[in-house]
Amino acid sequence: MNTENKIYLQPTPVRIWHWLNAFGIVTLTVTGAQIRFPEYVQLFASYKSVILLHNTAGLVVAASFSLWFFYYGLVARNMRKIYVPTKDDLQVGLLRQAKFYLLTYFLGWSNPHHPTPENKFNPMQKSAYMAIMFVLMPVVALSGILLTNVSPLREIVILIGGLKLLVAVHFLTACCLIAFLFTHVYLATLGKTPMAYIKPMWTGWEEVDQHDQHHHSA
Amino acid sequence: MRTYYEKFLWLILPLAMLGLPLAAVAADNGDCMGCHADADMVGAAFHIDPVRFDTTAHAEIGCQECHASVTANHPDDGDTPSKASCQDCHAEIGAEYAASNHFEMATCNDCHNPHVVRGATAVSGQAMNDKCASCHGSLETVLQHAEWLPQADLHLEMLPCISCHTASLDNVITLYLVKRKDGTRFGGGFTLATHAELTELAGDKSIPSLIDRNEDNYISLAELRMFNLDTDNQPLRLQGMITPETVTHDFRTLDNRWDCTFCHATGPSARQTSFVALIQEDGSYQRIAAEKGAVLDALYGTPDFYMVGATRSKVLDYIGMVIIAGGMVMPIGHGTLRFLTRKNRQRNEEE
Repeated sequence: MNTENKIYLQPTPVRIWHWLNAFGIVTLTVTGAQIRFPEYVQLFASYKSVILLHNTAGLVVAASFSLWFFYYGLVARNMRKIYVPTKDDLQVGLLRQAKFYLLTYFLGWSNPHHPTPENKFNPMQKSAYMAIMFVLMPVVALSGILLTNVSPLREIVILIGGLKLLVAVHFLTACCLIAFLFTHVYLATLGKTPMAYIKPMWTGWEEVDQHDQHHHSA
Repeated sequence: MRTYYEKFLWLILPLAMLGLPLAAVAADNGDCMGCHADADMVGAAFHIDPVRFDTTAHAEIGCQECHASVTANHPDDGDTPSKASCQDCHAEIGAEYAASNHFEMATCNDCHNPHVVRGATAVSGQAMNDKCASCHGSLETVLQHAEWLPQADLHLEMLPCISCHTASLDNVITLYLVKRKDGTRFGGGFTLATHAELTELAGDKSIPSLIDRNEDNYISLAELRMFNLDTDNQPLRLQGMITPETVTHDFRTLDNRWDCTFCHATGPSARQTSFVALIQEDGSYQRIAAEKGAVLDALYGTPDFYMVGATRSKVLDYIGMVIIAGGMVMPIGHGTLRFLTRKNRQRNEEE
């Protein structure tokens, strides 16, 4: 297939960022499970190494998050365009996309959203990513930073409502992110072939829809 | 008449003899304290706080038991009264301590002033650590521990040193009332609340009633929650420490304490017992048992006490599981329908 049938959807920095996050979040999930349920989960021999790994992975993901925030928010300045649903998205797009996932997909219809570098996400993705990137990720990262520095940041911990509340927020937010992870990975297999959406996140190039190809060749 | 008087004397003499030792001890302590309770009279080095001394076990045996050579002419006789050796009574502890690597560094009296010493459960965990801090500077100690221990500052704050550096047994969670320093609202830090401060906060009620509202000498989870949510108690917080019930003197670094799992990977079953320790007028602490498992409460039982891997809340576990299961609905539900309708998509592609 020549490059005319492909679009360059994911630039290299985005791909590096994505896989760094993916690796970090999986590490955080696994180590987090052992930290909270040590009598059930014993993947690593030493509890201390699990804590150090969790803290390190947490810092890497938090730094990566900050990079994303400053890049899209201050450098590229297209954060709103990519992540915030438009009025049209909310009024029509969301419903159309939901209808596709829950009904027309099973009938064999094609995805109503065609990603372009300027409009990567469908309305449902936009809403989900907005909640994740503007609410869940900051909450889990900030609560994690507080939990790894309880003594020096004690006054802030108390101001928030105490260590127990902070632990609850960190744990439940992490559970929300894990829940999203299952949906995220599953939806990534929903292209023409199971790897159709996953490959571009590795290579950068997405093969355009066959239907569109006919139009292009026509 | 005389005969009657003699008979009476014979009757009271044995009773008087029985009471004599007690009277002598009382008189003895009283005689000593007549001068030694007054710092101006004897100087700071020989001053004994009578309130604190009276609550020690040593007060019960009497001054002369340890200072046997003191005479009725003391101090005019110019003799320095003898001092008993701690080992005379505490031989077993002495032998245990002599075998430890700490023996060369400090005598019994360096850590225990016999005129104020109390049992382990009657002093605060912070007071236990103050003894260690008099030789082991706090910053230096934190830095040494930070070389291997995550959040070393927090650990050193929440644990008596002896929990890891002796084989002291039966660790429980003891909650102490700490108070925000006067005049500060944020950033000033907290110190152990004094008896006077708690008396003022309790108003016309007793200090225990600040937490033990029904004063039944038992603190239920509901009472703990009420205390922590009551805005009137805002300057106070409950700070938990892991304290040993049985103290030993075999100072060393125990091998299993290098391993975080010793305290942290036990799961919730090991951290069921907790107490609230309240300061009394004489400076000793009175412990009131808290409801079993109180520190495992999700939010407001002990809002500032959490041990990772050991005091998680089951309620939160279930909520978390439901959230994660919710995330699996899409892959499982949608995936099943996707599999069942795969022919529709194949047909569409062929067209």
